[in-house]
Amino acid sequence: MPAMTYLQAISDAMREEMRADERVFVMGEDIAVFGGAFKVTDGFLDEFGPARVMDTPLAESGIVGCAIGAACEGLRPVAEMQFADFVSCGFDQLVNVAGKMFYRQGLSVNITVRLPSGGGFSGGPFHSQNPEAWFMHSPGLKVVAPSTPEDAKGLLIRAIRDPNPVVFLEHKHLYRRVRGEVPAGRYETEFGARIARPGSDLVVIAHGAMVHTALEATEDSEASIEVLDLRSLVPLDEAAILDSVRRCSKVVVVDEANQTCAAGAQVAALIAQHGWEDLDGPVVRVGSPDVPIPFSPPLEQAVLPQPDDIREAVRELLDY
Amino acid sequence: MSSSTTDLTMPQMGVSVAEGTVVEWRKQVGDWVEADEVIASISTDKIDTDVEAPATGRLAEIMVAEGETVAVGAVLARIATDAPAEAEANGSSSGGGTSEADVALEAPGEAGELQGDTGRPGQAPLSRVVARGRAGSARFSPVVARMAAEHDLDLAQIEGTGRNGRVRKQDVLAHLERSAAPEPPMHIESPYRPDPPAPAQAPVSADGPAGASLSRMRRTIGRAMVESLHTAATCTTIAEADMTRVAAARKALGTSFLPLVARATVETLRAFPALNATLEGETYTRYDDRVHLGIAVSLGDTEPASPAGTGEQGLIVPVIRDAQELSVEGLATRIRDLAERARAGDLSPDEVRGGTFTITNPGGYGSILATPVINQPQVAILDTEAVVKRPVVITDALGEDAIAIRQMTYLCLSWDHRALDGALAARFLRALGERLEGWPLP
Repeated sequence: MPAMTYLQAISDAMREEMRADERVFVMGEDIAVFGGAFKVTDGFLDEFGPARVMDTPLAESGIVGCAIGAACEGLRPVAEMQFADFVSCGFDQLVNVAGKMFYRQGLSVNITVRLPSGGGFSGGPFHSQNPEAWFMHSPGLKVVAPSTPEDAKGLLIRAIRDPNPVVFLEHKHLYRRVRGEVPAGRYETEFGARIARPGSDLVVIAHGAMVHTALEATEDSEASIEVLDLRSLVPLDEAAILDSVRRCSKVVVVDEANQTCAAGAQVAALIAQHGWEDLDGPVVRVGSPDVPIPFSPPLEQAVLPQPDDIREAVRELLDY
Repeated sequence: MSSSTTDLTMPQMGVSVAEGTVVEWRKQVGDWVEADEVIASISTDKIDTDVEAPATGRLAEIMVAEGETVAVGAVLARIATDAPAEAEANGSSSGGGTSEADVALEAPGEAGELQGDTGRPGQAPLSRVVARGRAGSARFSPVVARMAAEHDLDLAQIEGTGRNGRVRKQDVLAHLERSAAPEPPMHIESPYRPDPPAPAQAPVSADGPAGASLSRMRRTIGRAMVESLHTAATCTTIAEADMTRVAAARKALGTSFLPLVARATVETLRAFPALNATLEGETYTRYDDRVHLGIAVSLGDTEPASPAGTGEQGLIVPVIRDAQELSVEGLATRIRDLAERARAGDLSPDEVRGGTFTITNPGGYGSILATPVINQPQVAILDTEAVVKRPVVITDALGEDAIAIRQMTYLCLSWDHRALDGALAARFLRALGERLEGWPLP
C-alpha cells in the first residue's frame, strides 16, 4: 500500500471517484486554476477539465445552493468551503435546503461539502473553527470527521456515494502532518467508530485531530487506556461507544471545538442515559473554552486541548 | 426518655480469636429478651456458638446483619434496659425526643412489619443503615452498585482503593476474582480419604450437574491448607516401623493404635524438641518439655462405603494440652472425649488452638502412605497409616536372618524445611520407630 499524507488521501479519493463516475465533479473557491488554498485539487483542472473542476465566486451560499441543484439533477457534486469557518455563509442552503429536501420533496441531495477545519497553526478566529456541532444539530445532514489518511479516503468516497448531504470535516492541521498507508483503488469506510487503541481501564473518545492528541497523551500511561475514534458524528456509532464504556467504565470525551453543545456533549449525554450502569466515575469532558480561537500562538495553545490537558483528566479519573 | 441501653458485643472466644460472624439472629428488633437468653448464633473460623443477652430489656437495635463478620468486642446489638415490658410498649412515649431506639420501640414486635418500608427513616432496616454508615461511604458508582446486585455482594466487605476509600470497579472485580479462585483438591486437607470427584467446573450444558458453593467448614479448611502449602517448605519423610509389640499392647488395653502412637510420639518429641515447635514468620518457638498435641478428627461420615463420604463434613484438630502428663490410658480417654465433642460441635475455641505438634490418623481405611499438610504454625505433622501384616527379614537371637510375618506400618512425617533439615526428621522417625518396636509387652 502506498503511504500518503492525509491531504493526498483526500485528493486521491476525489480523483478516483471522478475517474470512475462522471457524475462526480468538484467546485469551490480557487480550487481549479490555483488547485485550492491547500492544493487538495492540484492538477484536477488539467485532468478533468473546467466542466468538472469549477472555480466559484466567493459566495458559499451560492456554492452550496448550486451543488444542491446539481444533485437534484442527478449529479454528485463535491463542494469545498475554503475554510470550514466560511460555511456559515452557506448555512441556510445547507441546513434549510439540503437537509430538508428529502423530507419535504422526496429528492435526494447527494452532495458532499468539504470543510477544512480546526486550529493549531495560528489561523485565528476565522480560520480555525470546528463547526461540526452546528450540523449535528440539523436533521437531514450527515457529519463525518476522519483522523487518518486511510479513513479520510474511505470516508470521502463513502460520502460522495451517500445519497444524503454529507458534511466532511477534514482537519487542516492533519493535512501534511499525518501520513499513513492508504489502500489503492476505490473503497468505502463505513460511517462508524473505530478503536484506535484498545484498552480496559479508561476510554478516551475523540474525533479528528484530537484522536492523535489523545493517543499521544496516553501512550505512556501505566493504565490500559482505550482510544475510540468516532470517525462519524452523524450517524453516531452508539453501539461502539457503549461497548467501550461497558468494558472500561471510565470515560474522557475530547472535543477540539468549544465545549458547549459540542459533539462530545452528545456522546456524554448518550453515556449518561444508556451507559449509566457501566460507569465507575463521572463522564469527564475536555474541550476548548467558549471563546474564539486566538491568533497568538501561546494563547491558541492555551485554548485548544493539549496532550497535558487530556493527561491530567485521565489521571484524575483513574484516581477516582 | 432517658435511653439506658446495654451493648451486646462479639464475645472473646479463646485467646487468639480475633473476629466472629453472626450466623443467625434469634430475636428481632423490638423483641423482649431476658438476661442470659440466647439471642444470636455466632461462628468463628472453627467454632459455632450462641450469644446470650447481657441484660433484660427490649432489643432496640441490631448493628451487625446475619453473615457479617466483625472484630471481637464490636457491638452486635443494643438492648434498651429501661424499656417497658410487653403490654405497655405503646404507651411509653412520655418524653418528647425520638431517639432511634424510640422509633424502633414504637414499632410492633413483629419482625415482618419492621422490614416493611413505611417511609420513616429509622424504622426500616436499621441494621442495613448502620452497616452502610460503617462502610465509610454509602455512595457507590453505578457500575459498582450494579455488580454488587448481580453478584449479591456486601460492598461494606470490600476494601476500596479509590479516592477516600471509594470502592472502584476494579476492587469489585478483584474481589470476584478472589472468590472465584479454584478450590484446592480435597485430598490435601484429608490425606486418608478417597479422592472426591474432580471439582465441578461451571456447567457447560443445562443437563450437567448443578454446582453448589462450598460449606463454611470446607472453605476454612481449604484456606488453611493452601496457606500452609504457600507458607511452609513442606517435605515428607517416611520410615517403616514394626508394630507387632504395639499391636499386642493395644489389644490388651482395648484401645486403637492411636493412644500408643501418641504416647510414643510425645516421648520421642522430648528428645527432639526442635520438632515440638512453631514457626511464625521469622519467629521460631520451641516448647521443649510441654507437648500440646493436636489430633486430627474427621467430622465426616464414618462409614467409608457411604456415598456421602465426600469430605463434606471436614475435619478439626482438637489439642491435648500438656500431653506429656498423660498415660496411654489417659490419652485414650482424652482422644475419645475430644473426638466425640468435636463431632457434636461442642469444642470450645481454646481446645482447637495452641498445638505444638499434630498427629493425623487415617484409621482403618487401609492406605499405607500419605503426605500430610502441616498444621500451621507448627513445624511438623505425623501421619500414621494402616498397620498391615507383611513378610519381613528379622534377625533372631542367634544373629541369624529369617523371614517373619510382622505387623508393619509407615510413619509419614511432613516437616517444614525452613525450621529443620531432613536428617533430623529421619532421626526422629527412627527414634519413634525404635520406641514403638521396643514397646513393653503386656
